[in-house]
Amino acid sequence: MTVYESDLPGVGKKHEIELHGGERLVVVTHNTGKREVFRRADEDSDAEKLFELSDGLARTVGTVLEGAYFQPVATENIDTVLGGDALIEWYEVPEGSELAGETIEAADVRQRTGASIIAVDTGDDVTPNPDPGAGVHAGDTVVVIGSREEVDEFHATFIESTDGDDGDGEGDGDDGSGTVLD
Amino acid sequence: MAAGSPVAGGDLHGLLALGTLLAVAALVAAAGRRVGIPTVPLYVLGGVLAGPHVAGAVGLPSIAPAEVLTLAEVGVVLLLFFLGLEFSLDRLIAARRKLSAAAAVDLLVNFPVGVVLGLAFGLGPIGAFLVGGIVYISSSAVITKSLVDLGWIADPEAEPVLGTLVAEDLVIAVYLALAVALVAGGSPVDALPRIAVALGFLIAVAAAAQLLAPRLAPYLGTSDEDLVVRTLAVALVVSGLALAVGASEAVAGFFVGVGVGATPLHDRVADRIAPLRDAFAVVFFAWVGLNTDPVAVAGVAAFVLAAAALSGPAKVISGSVGGWLYDLSPRRSLRTGLALVPRGEFSLIIAALAAASPDPTIARVIPAFAVGYVLVMSFAGTIAMSEASRIERLVGVAEE
Repeated sequence: MTVYESDLPGVGKKHEIELHGGERLVVVTHNTGKREVFRRADEDSDAEKLFELSDGLARTVGTVLEGAYFQPVATENIDTVLGGDALIEWYEVPEGSELAGETIEAADVRQRTGASIIAVDTGDDVTPNPDPGAGVHAGDTVVVIGSREEVDEFHATFIESTDGDDGDGEGDGDDGSGTVLD
Repeated sequence: MAAGSPVAGGDLHGLLALGTLLAVAALVAAAGRRVGIPTVPLYVLGGVLAGPHVAGAVGLPSIAPAEVLTLAEVGVVLLLFFLGLEFSLDRLIAARRKLSAAAAVDLLVNFPVGVVLGLAFGLGPIGAFLVGGIVYISSSAVITKSLVDLGWIADPEAEPVLGTLVAEDLVIAVYLALAVALVAGGSPVDALPRIAVALGFLIAVAAAAQLLAPRLAPYLGTSDEDLVVRTLAVALVVSGLALAVGASEAVAGFFVGVGVGATPLHDRVADRIAPLRDAFAVVFFAWVGLNTDPVAVAGVAAFVLAAAALSGPAKVISGSVGGWLYDLSPRRSLRTGLALVPRGEFSLIIAALAAASPDPTIARVIPAFAVGYVLVMSFAGTIAMSEASRIERLVGVAEE
């Protein structure tokens, strides 16, 4: 995928994103923050304006497109590489996991895997930096931080071992590629 | 053309003069917008109606140009200040290879067309120099707005069009500096010392903008109120000094804008001062109208039509070559040319300059010519862009 960037003096910046079959998506970002989104069917055709968004609205739509609001693919495995060997992953706790129905302390997460749970999302409520005594239930999403090996160990111990169809679900992770979705 | 024309219905003064002028200009612009005419020539038309040559001539209260002169000058300074604010030397340098070729074609084709026209209509070398500027310069603001409105901004021709406009803006800054010195009178040789002083002053302002502005920016204030008052103070003091040494107040405003534009204050200043520019620019356009006698414009109709007939196609051709230099297809190149058809406010700034000339022919003919030319070309330019697909078929570069 190629993104072309060009300056529009007095207006702002233009980004052209190649889509399939020579089609291009053109985003004009005005200096005022307004975004205009166009589509060009091919190299030669004129831009057809699709819609325009205010600065704030564009950011919200951007996060939705990025998957930060809702992620339909592999919710149990979204990792964010922090640089070095540290990464953050999200896992949905499956039914039958050793973690389900336990407290973080009782499951001995830190001792057994080296990874730490830094947030628990029950769907209704997010607890950042939970106490060791906080309970985790099947269906909750836990956010885990650690090295690649520690996070893999967490996955093997609490997520995968309990549920056969989960697959290995891991990218190779050491390429520093930012967010990896499988 | 000059102030002090006979006034029958009495002059309006002060606030009432300013208010009436703005009200008439706004009414005319609102009426004209319904039929899709760009607003700048309409504000001029409003000024013509409210001025001594129309309202005054039929016995209605009218407005003497001198009544709003200072506010009109503020308008000119702010127009150029904004041009400077959006101007980036880095951007010009980054794009220099393609741009310099396209911009050179633009200048080398269109400026001589104007000079030849000026000479052919008996205006002499200085008059011809002014006509050259009037037919060469297009308005960045007006054309950029058309590009956005028509959606061409997302097409490849936007780059050569906007690039050429940036180059024109730089040329017009140098051009105005020279024009002020030349118009002040005498032969070009007599003007040399004036040119030296004026250019020296502007180089000093430009250097200060480059070197001092980033360091001085923090002193422009943190609150919006301070920012507006102090930025205006700097712009008006510097441009006022420029006038005092015989340099162009407009060009001084341009460099102050370049200086402020290079600081992190850019966006906030643009945001806060844009409404002031809009209001004062209308006063300037209307002031040009106050000075304009419709009879004089009618008197130069042949000149205006000849200029439109020659300079319009010349721009389309030079712009097309510019687009071709950007590796665009024939159709996109043609569009580049159509978009660059000159319109707008800078021709009027040159007209205002000419009106102050001691040469009576220049002072009489050029402002009337410029107003007529801006009126005709704002139609021609708008039609050139909105009818682009028809013109493409006519020229035989349309798709399919």
